[in-house]
Amino acid sequence: MSTLMSQSAAVIKMNIQSLPRRLWMSLAMVFASAVVVAILLAFLAMAKGFDATMKSAGSEDIAFFMRTGSAAELNSSASREQVNLIENAPGIARDEQGPMVSPELYVIVDGVKKSTQNEANIPLRGLDQRGVAMRKGFTLVAGRMFNPGTDELIVGAGILREFDGFELGQEIRFGKYKWKVVGVFSTGGNVFESELWADAKVIQNLYNRGSSYQSIRARMTSPDSLPLIAEYLKNEPRLTHEVQAESSYFAEQGKSLGYMAMFGWVISSIMALGALAGALNTMYTSVSDRAMEIATLRAIGFSHFSAFIGTMAEAMTLAAIGSIVGSLAAFIFFDGLSASTLGGSFTQVVFSFQLSPDLFIKGISMALIIGFISGFFPAWRAARVPVIVAFQTAR
Amino acid sequence: MKDFYLIYKNLTRKKMRLFLTTFAIFIAFLIFGAIMSLRSALNAGVEMSADNRLVVVHKTSFTNPLPYAYVNKVKAIEGVKDVTHANWFGGYYKEPRNQVVSFAVDPQSYMTVYPELVVEPEQLSRWYKNQTGILVGERIAIANNWKVGDRIPLSSNIFSQKTGGQTWEFEIDGIFKGNEEKIDTSYVLIHYKYFNETQSWGGDSIGWLILTTLDASLNEQVAKVIDSEFANSNNETDTSTEQAFNKAFIDQIGNIGLIIFGVVFMAFFTILIVVGNTMVLAIRERTNEIAVLKTLGFASSRIFKMVLVESCLLAFLGGLLGIGGAFIIIKGASEQMARFLPNLVLGSDVLLQALAYMLVLGLITGIAPAISALRLNIVTAFSRG
Repeated sequence: MSTLMSQSAAVIKMNIQSLPRRLWMSLAMVFASAVVVAILLAFLAMAKGFDATMKSAGSEDIAFFMRTGSAAELNSSASREQVNLIENAPGIARDEQGPMVSPELYVIVDGVKKSTQNEANIPLRGLDQRGVAMRKGFTLVAGRMFNPGTDELIVGAGILREFDGFELGQEIRFGKYKWKVVGVFSTGGNVFESELWADAKVIQNLYNRGSSYQSIRARMTSPDSLPLIAEYLKNEPRLTHEVQAESSYFAEQGKSLGYMAMFGWVISSIMALGALAGALNTMYTSVSDRAMEIATLRAIGFSHFSAFIGTMAEAMTLAAIGSIVGSLAAFIFFDGLSASTLGGSFTQVVFSFQLSPDLFIKGISMALIIGFISGFFPAWRAARVPVIVAFQTAR
Repeated sequence: MKDFYLIYKNLTRKKMRLFLTTFAIFIAFLIFGAIMSLRSALNAGVEMSADNRLVVVHKTSFTNPLPYAYVNKVKAIEGVKDVTHANWFGGYYKEPRNQVVSFAVDPQSYMTVYPELVVEPEQLSRWYKNQTGILVGERIAIANNWKVGDRIPLSSNIFSQKTGGQTWEFEIDGIFKGNEEKIDTSYVLIHYKYFNETQSWGGDSIGWLILTTLDASLNEQVAKVIDSEFANSNNETDTSTEQAFNKAFIDQIGNIGLIIFGVVFMAFFTILIVVGNTMVLAIRERTNEIAVLKTLGFASSRIFKMVLVESCLLAFLGGLLGIGGAFIIIKGASEQMARFLPNLVLGSDVLLQALAYMLVLGLITGIAPAISALRLNIVTAFSRG
């Protein structure tokens, strides 16, 4: 057993030391597996970042009401009367000011993207103090809160990052109306940071909404109140709304970039096949380059196994180096990369690419699989070729 | 002829390597073909827009409605040829996830402004007369298995019927096609009048206006006149060419599009570099044989050509297979994805680009070894080997 080990160790050492002789072919294999890893990680980080931005926005104990079939906040509607009915629903928490219900408006305005200088949709949300208090992790980063009844608004940190002209103290024009930026807020990186917030009553006024709202949020006494509220909605013919936990609404929205992760897997798997072809070429070249060496070792009594393991080790080493290079490149170029795209409500969602240890493990495993397969067949050949033939072909 | 035999023999001397190299090139061009088709499908709206068509939307955002009165006001402006309007219906078929892009339009004027939509005359005149009729695009009809004469329910995720409920029933009067393959036919058209009378919000408002100018050179002037006409009103407008409007809309998908195409393109080049490296080495290995050929009296230029032809053959072998594969994939996917991505075709522009890249790959990988073969000194080659 120990001779097997020491033989293998010697062959592995020889193989690795002879790598510079095959520098270009070896580099090609490293390069190929690095790119496969980097591409896979780019897509996974994109999907993960978007999903996290959405998911972290929703709370389990907040009931979220939209008109049946509306699918997104933008399309929902609720009259003042309906809001009152929902305030009387069971299972809704109360404080000294009454039921904790936040009826909100959601209108779309245009902003100019920094990256392209093109106009893109951003949501302007109308809410009141109660609604603000319902957002997890809300903090004012700069400035102050808007005053109710005025044309003041506060901007999310994501909007500030991706769009022009929303700096503190700026005046912004949407159509005929001017707004003043009095504060910048953060909600810990989630989707609410891609919004502008202003007083709901002012928006009702300026956008001819009368006394109507769009979506409604309500704090529940506990997440278990949900079925109770759903039952109440069913039995109240004046309400045309559906209820769900805010967390499940955003979880659903987060899936919309899930196809990116799938796309990433497909593309990088196809890429991996291409890289595999390249890697096999490298390893076959390596075996024929060392044919003389292998034949000599075998002739002086080294085992089949040591020849096999030597080539395997070389392939795995190259793939592992590639996977580290690829992971590093992905980390440098993609981690935290700020991006924006269209979300469910036809508006921009600003999010950051997010790399995490589990993604790195996926990337590295993919490279090691390439390494294993590309090493196995050439290693098999190295181990099986009869010594005589090896000497002949090695010339 | 003899040269070709030699080239063939050289190519196939190591079957395994030939297979692996061809396969890698195949993969590279498969990805290239598929991704470029995807990209041109996304941009098709920009390419296919007519150069004298303008779009008028609410200045705050195109999701804000405009008053119906604007139609006639715009019609009166000098330089305007035809005007039509559309409303976003927010339609879905049976289930909310099964979205159907649907516009409520004024039928006659809409078909005048969009002459590229082709319908059989009798189907068209039936739709003009039938208020509850619907004209469906060819792609979406295929995707949902709709035929002329079917009655289909279409629900809206925005509007409700006056009589309650959010589902309207329509009769399919006709199916429209595009006069070119790339034209988007994945949407449906319903009568604005019927929609406006039956929806509960009321308010005679339209989503946006589309107009044609008498000549593309008038575009800028007409756009300015329209926007100044409604300046300082409650509903200010923003007029742009259809092309600019479509481009802005696609840009909303955002820089993730840019990132994706960047990443994939990088992948394509990487494979080419890796493969190119192998191809160069494969020829370098043969220094000795080239020296033999020279000794036998083969002219240097002849060997130069042979090496180049060999590498180009290899590039085209893998490349054409790859593009062929991409073509089949795109063909299959275009039926599956008709709903989200109309216009998915592998066009001749993508094919030409791919052919150019194949040629470049072949030449670049061939040129270095070919030149060294050209310059090769027989004596040094033999003494080295």
